[in-house]
Amino acid sequence: MEIQLDFISSDMLAKKGSAEKISFILSRIKKNVIIVLEEALEPREETELIEASMREIDAEDFHGIEFFRMDHRAKSLREKIAEYISGRRHGMTIVGPTRLIEAIKREPEYISMLARIEIPDKEVEKRHTSAQDAEKSTRKMKKKS
Amino acid sequence: MLSALRNSLRRLMRIFRKKKQIQLGFYGPVNAGKTTLANRISLDWLGREVGTVSEIPHETREVQKIENIVVSTNNGELRMNIVDMPGIATQVDFKSFKAFGMSEEEAKARAREATKGVIEAIKWLDNVDAVLVVLDSTKDPYTQVNVTIIGNLEARGIPMIIVANKIDLPDAQPSAISSAFPQHVVVPISAQTGENLPALYEAIQKHLA
Repeated sequence: MEIQLDFISSDMLAKKGSAEKISFILSRIKKNVIIVLEEALEPREETELIEASMREIDAEDFHGIEFFRMDHRAKSLREKIAEYISGRRHGMTIVGPTRLIEAIKREPEYISMLARIEIPDKEVEKRHTSAQDAEKSTRKMKKKS
Repeated sequence: MLSALRNSLRRLMRIFRKKKQIQLGFYGPVNAGKTTLANRISLDWLGREVGTVSEIPHETREVQKIENIVVSTNNGELRMNIVDMPGIATQVDFKSFKAFGMSEEEAKARAREATKGVIEAIKWLDNVDAVLVVLDSTKDPYTQVNVTIIGNLEARGIPMIIVANKIDLPDAQPSAISSAFPQHVVVPISAQTGENLPALYEAIQKHLA
């Protein structure tokens, strides 16, 4: 199974209101895409995202989301004023469907994400056979030498 | 910007308008012990339990309100209504309930109710005066759900205390919760045994009432 990651620029997000942003995120996630937003979602937007994803949950196809936010904390007064005026929070948010994101480990300095790749049975069989073939040819080569 | 202004106003109003009885919401992730704590407080001061607890996630799927609790502390009386919320989660998979022996239909019904419970709990954020964020001391506190709950309360200007629950368990590390959220008051307790509850009442009186 392939995993698609979409990187969404803050300029694109700035054109959207909160509701439009949430609906955009969910529509991508429901297509099994992990998205990386070039901004930190507001806490209220995060609860809106949870609420909206709860409404979308269905037993067979969609069980919810995993997400995490990394904030860039404004250090200088100028940065703080700029953030306050623009209303834009610098940082990053990654959101994906729970069926793809196995685990997220947050540390104060970094975040580690473990994605789950469900390989179809046929593909597993193919890989297993090619691994066996490779092993056989290695043995043959060793015997010859 | 408007919401920041509204929150500042809300904080100011709170200083001038001290309520005689506070509406105290219990928020936290699933299975952190919110209902066990609500039951413990209710049993101690009203003589009855209010909700069922279970190891199966999402046991509390509806908001439960316990009204007119009067707690005696060293600093006088503490009057409050407790609102015990369903646990906040970002995912609900009915298959996880089947692992506890439920039929597929029961598991699906529980999942449907659980999603409604999460939505209801989020909606209640606009109706509480103060919040106890109940976290499980045996688990990593630095999860996105915990960060989102606490971030929301901060953004809305709702005062909170973080309750580091389950300190009776051998793996408990309440200090990890204090380290993860150093800007907030953290009170370690065991809702199961009642350990350190008087300190929690004092903290509510001091910081939230």
